Amino acid sequence: MTAAPLEKTIPVGNAKLGHTTVFWIGFAVVMAILIVAPLILPEFWRRFLTEVLIWGLLAMSSDLLIGYTGMISFGHSAFFGLGMYGAAGSLIALSKSLWLATLCGLAAAAGAALFVAYFSTRLRDIYFAITTLIFSQIFYVIIFTWTTVTGGENGLIFTRPHLTIPFLYDARFTSTTMHWFVLAVVTASYLILRRLTRSPFGMVLQSIRENEPRTRAIGYPVERYKIVSVMLSGLFAGLAGVLYAVQNQFAAPDFVFFLTSGDTVIYNVIGGIGTLVGPIVGAGFFQLARELLARLFGDQFPYLIPLGAVFIAIIILLPQGLLGFARRWLNR
Amino acid sequence: MSEKWKQEKWAEDIWYRGKVTRRSIVGWGGGAIGAMMLVPAPWRAAFGAEKAYKIGSEQPLSGPGAAGGKTAVVGLQMAADRINGSGGVNGRPIELVIADDESSPAVARQKTEKLVSEDNIDLHVGGFLSNICLACMPVWEDAKIVNIISVCLDTTLTTSKCNRYSFRPYDYAPAQAVAFAPTLTKMGKKWHVAFTDYSWGQSTRDAYINEIKKNGGEIVGTTGIPLGTPDMTPFLSKISGDFDGLFGIFFGKDGVTLVTQAYDLGLTKKYKFAGDGSISESTNLIAIGNKIDGFIGINRYIPVFQGPLDTPYHHKFFDEAKARLLKIDPSGPLPDKYVQSNYEAINCVKLGIEKSKFQGRADTMKLIEALEGLVMKAGEDFPQGDKVLRKEDHQAFPQEFIFEVSGGTYHLKETVPGDKTMAPPACNFSA
Repeated sequence: MTAAPLEKTIPVGNAKLGHTTVFWIGFAVVMAILIVAPLILPEFWRRFLTEVLIWGLLAMSSDLLIGYTGMISFGHSAFFGLGMYGAAGSLIALSKSLWLATLCGLAAAAGAALFVAYFSTRLRDIYFAITTLIFSQIFYVIIFTWTTVTGGENGLIFTRPHLTIPFLYDARFTSTTMHWFVLAVVTASYLILRRLTRSPFGMVLQSIRENEPRTRAIGYPVERYKIVSVMLSGLFAGLAGVLYAVQNQFAAPDFVFFLTSGDTVIYNVIGGIGTLVGPIVGAGFFQLARELLARLFGDQFPYLIPLGAVFIAIIILLPQGLLGFARRWLNR
Repeated sequence: MSEKWKQEKWAEDIWYRGKVTRRSIVGWGGGAIGAMMLVPAPWRAAFGAEKAYKIGSEQPLSGPGAAGGKTAVVGLQMAADRINGSGGVNGRPIELVIADDESSPAVARQKTEKLVSEDNIDLHVGGFLSNICLACMPVWEDAKIVNIISVCLDTTLTTSKCNRYSFRPYDYAPAQAVAFAPTLTKMGKKWHVAFTDYSWGQSTRDAYINEIKKNGGEIVGTTGIPLGTPDMTPFLSKISGDFDGLFGIFFGKDGVTLVTQAYDLGLTKKYKFAGDGSISESTNLIAIGNKIDGFIGINRYIPVFQGPLDTPYHHKFFDEAKARLLKIDPSGPLPDKYVQSNYEAINCVKLGIEKSKFQGRADTMKLIEALEGLVMKAGEDFPQGDKVLRKEDHQAFPQEFIFEVSGGTYHLKETVPGDKTMAPPACNFSA
């Protein structure tokens, strides 16, 4: 597991730059690339990149639990799905407002996260993982069978809301503005989560991850910290669900199914647990590998077999994930 | 004199200094031909008459819907081969671009985007699972591409969620309920409905409840069984009481489970047994055996040569489909409604293209206008029979076949003409 690195210096030419400076330079470069990308990429790849960012946000939200609190959650599909259904329900039944839809999606995900957190944070390790899995399946069955409200298996389809900034801007989303909107939300989420994990609150979460009995023994109310951690994680997962719904104009029960949670854990492991950015890299790697394999070997190529082999190789050879490996390589 | 030019400096440069030799002409010529073969698209574009119509088709070739998806592709390919073999449509061949949606709406959306923006399809014919058809409908509408649905059964596709770009050239549950209800109420007045408890089962249940009541019958109870339930006994054992018939709404392996377990519990002996034809698709009959004997069902297509299906064009369709199915499934299943509706969907497009002189996406509105109210006459293109694509909701009303299963085969009991199956349109394109 990774903790915040100690401030080191990296020689660049004759100057020596601090880690923080290098981080912000790297951040600015990546942001510049992601901002310019939709202006250069063809339509398909533009949408593809936007989707990678959304899946990355979902994976990053679960990293708060897996990487920082040491709790593996299989309930993220429920938070993601409820964010999606909350936004869809608002757009169909209440108003065409993007912001109201976002609020409704976040409220639905937060409500579910509170419910799951209250019951599951009393448990640890595999028991926590199984409990979150069971809760996500309960939400799945409710959504699948409550056809009158959720559309059942068919889900909900709706018209995409406009991108509005009250009194300033009101226009239909294009694939470019959608990309920028998603990028802004994912970046803001990343910065918030980064700040959180480096705050005293984040340090307590990492302490729980390293030694829960000792954290309790020195007086921290561990259960409360875990509840807040699950809720925050669920909230950002719900935000990813809202973005997915707005981008694709539909909500479907398949996303609430536990396989989505499994994908999320895989993105974390591939990219690097406890890095926040790593899960986004993992999501990108997985989606890109799937797309390229399909293009090289045809649509029916069983891409999960080579991807499974890559996944196993990463676990054995790069246990810190792609980003962890890149960090070590850059720091040599 | 005539050779004097060879002594000129420019001629010397060309012929004697290795700039242009016979070998280089052959080499460059061969290279140019190779390049033309390797890069056929621009070459074809320059000669519009040979440019193929690109028809995208999203099908579940892996995941839970794979078996049906592969069957659907047989129908598509069969129609495309036949059209291309007879000179194409308006002199242009058809090229199918098939995308595997992996039975997942998320993957389907990515593949749909790819069909639209990378493969540059002219129109789409396909869609197997209703949730995927619904998830992709906004893409076709946004891209202004005609979408011919070829299997999806959900009622709302041509009612509350209809749009101007999507068409369904085959039946839906309300039409089957209109066609079947008079027969059901003749069989018995009181019915119990068992259905697969998700959107298709629920909307089909509602359609039958409505029509049975309209025909003077009564529904004494309903039993919803979750999709994919391997043991239905706890649900079926609660079905009892004073009623005449048990009506089942299931498909795929759920249909096999229902029939097998209802038989074992004695329900199919105690009550009359009827239901949606999906229960008794030819692929299911092998697994069910004689436990389904006496079942009365309704379907738009059954693989028999009786009544209006005993035609030379149906024989031809049946034989070719059976041979093609044998190649993908050695057990040799008979053609089913999935092969039929995909085969006819491509032929429906062919008629629309011919009528509208459609050249590509820019002519989408012309194609839509040609498809609205399109009359499809029974023949080699439409072996199932006559049908019309209703303008108001883009829904077709083919003839329906009411049949009994016994001895592992279908026995046609009644044919209900398409115009006697019409449910009122419930679509508003401006919504």
